[in-house]
Amino acid sequence: MTFVVPFGPQHPALKEPEYFRFEVKGEEIIDLNVRLGYIHRGIERALQERSYLHNIYLAERICGICNVAHTTAYCQTIEQLANIEVPDRARFIRTILCELERIHSHLLWAGVAAHEIGFNTLFMFFWRDRELVLDLKEMISGNRQISASNTLGGVRRDVKPEYVPTMLRVLNKLEKETKYYIDVCTSDRTILARCMGVGVLTKEDAIKLCIVGPTTRASGVDVDIRRDDPYAAYDEISFKVIIEREGDVLAKVIVRLREILESIRIIRQALKALPRGPLRTKVAPKIEPNEALGRIEAPRGELLYYAISNGTDKPERIRVRPPTYANIPSFKPMFVGGTIAEIPIVMASIDPCFACTDRVTLVDSHTGKARVVSFDELRGRRK
Amino acid sequence: MEVLDFFFNSLVFPGLLFASLIGLLYVGIDRKVTGHMQHRIGPPIWQEYLDVGKLMSKEDITPHAAQSLVFNVVPLIALGAVVTVMLLLPVYSAQPALATVADLIVIIYLLNIPAICLMLGGYSSGSPFGSVGAARHVVQLFSYELVFILVIIAVVTRVGSLNLTTVVGYQAQHSWLILDWRLIPALIAMFTSIQGKLMRVPFDIPEAESKIVHGAMTEYSGPKLAIWRVVYDIETLVVAGFIAALFLGGPVAYTIGGVQIPGVVDFLIKTLVIVLITTTLRNIMARLRIDQALKFYLTFGALLAIISLVLVLVVP
Repeated sequence: MTFVVPFGPQHPALKEPEYFRFEVKGEEIIDLNVRLGYIHRGIERALQERSYLHNIYLAERICGICNVAHTTAYCQTIEQLANIEVPDRARFIRTILCELERIHSHLLWAGVAAHEIGFNTLFMFFWRDRELVLDLKEMISGNRQISASNTLGGVRRDVKPEYVPTMLRVLNKLEKETKYYIDVCTSDRTILARCMGVGVLTKEDAIKLCIVGPTTRASGVDVDIRRDDPYAAYDEISFKVIIEREGDVLAKVIVRLREILESIRIIRQALKALPRGPLRTKVAPKIEPNEALGRIEAPRGELLYYAISNGTDKPERIRVRPPTYANIPSFKPMFVGGTIAEIPIVMASIDPCFACTDRVTLVDSHTGKARVVSFDELRGRRK
Repeated sequence: MEVLDFFFNSLVFPGLLFASLIGLLYVGIDRKVTGHMQHRIGPPIWQEYLDVGKLMSKEDITPHAAQSLVFNVVPLIALGAVVTVMLLLPVYSAQPALATVADLIVIIYLLNIPAICLMLGGYSSGSPFGSVGAARHVVQLFSYELVFILVIIAVVTRVGSLNLTTVVGYQAQHSWLILDWRLIPALIAMFTSIQGKLMRVPFDIPEAESKIVHGAMTEYSGPKLAIWRVVYDIETLVVAGFIAALFLGGPVAYTIGGVQIPGVVDFLIKTLVIVLITTTLRNIMARLRIDQALKFYLTFGALLAIISLVLVLVVP
């Protein structure tokens, strides 16, 4: 006898509306069905209606948290389309911004995860330190969150020499705190009780389902676009790709926290090696017919942009595949066999960003398998 | 005169008015201290009064699915129960306000009534979150209550009386029971148990907001929710006062430099210390799952209490 436990579209554990349908036998989850598309915003179509320059604003607003990742990927793709070389200084500044964003995104996620397991003190601590990063972002770009720094052919704002001492000081502080958090997360009994051995994604599943980002690195798969397909200034910087083998929620926490340490190292190197020179090159508004594919390592994993130009100042087509979309299939092996009580933390463990996802999802409800949600299910009643 | 006394005791001191004023203040302090522990500023310590006052002034709404006598009446029953315990506790001297023969067993029963009322309210609210919260509440009730009762049995065996007044009087003559090493495991077990009783982290499973909104209280709003808040706050005070009476010698009147300090001051200090200990505990842990909580209480908690009981029986 199985019950259907609906989860969403409105649920306190979900920050964004999506629908998950769990089939449970007692407490055990035996099947899972995902229905996406509740916040489809039609941005891909909107990208075709605007000029290349105007699209930066739109790409930036695909995801509030990883806005630098989106604009970097977008600008990189369009620069490939137009065959433009970005000045060296701009490449380094992009690297710094991307890594600052990775730190803030991982801290944000860690806070949410701590909240999901009811550890509100840790949640507040993570977000307190996230403020430090946001202050740095504000100092460089003038904005805390949506940085609006990237532009076609370079960046719009410089990292001035007087910023560097402040940045190094804050990074030192952040490094100390992050080490402390790693210590807490690997030793606190209640955290271990909630995270260890929960929501395991095996290496085989991670490879088979093409999972990306920290989620797959926590399962022992050695994938990182920054190293495998270097962009910005990553080919001139040495860094480690963080791998954990266990694949459970704890491993995902540790991978992200250790990535913060690695990001701090990257920023230090980039600040040291920051070359002199112009910030941007000119880009002609019209781009000859061409096609290009750009990918970067966003905080949540591989972010992929594909663009076709047609000789006008507007793109023919732009396709975006954000990391959360690639990670959705990992829900099934992580949930099946687990219990209902694990749902919120396991769901949070891939760091889902559904607003990103839905913008590119074509929800096909006519393929037979997908089913329209009934009113009773939405109300959470059992059949 | 006796009737007048009774009304004064139950409505003003140490009953409804005193208990709610102090209870709300203590939870306010708890919230402020929590804020500081979490590197926030936190609300002012009188925030609970403002919250309850605001809720009281709201429209009284009963959801369509929850139209029943039970849903509306249980907050009041719970309030009555906790205020009654207040009358049975030694607040200003070893003698409680209601000097009848009510003993520890009555207090144990009365302390369970808010939990049972909350459970009934959750089940009758017609909301899935309410019933899930209530179901978890039942599981948790059965786990922490065993530890709670075992600790009380250990103390009662030590003193040799089921009467709280006698327990307090015994401590006044000898020494506080917290200083008896045989009861230290029981004291630790007691703190784990009240963490569950007051639904604080790591045992706030019945109202885990990231999973089941607010558990059994999900459908309550306005004045009814305000009454629940008052019940919760008074319960915090009552449980702290109960532990103070069991282990810390209850209220003692002192004379410092010729100035007579009434026992109620001692009561307030001791209860505040106990509340602050539970505040600290709730801020340094993550929430457990319901099965882990059950396992924790039935193994670790119960074991500690039984160790104390055996020590008290065996070691002279």
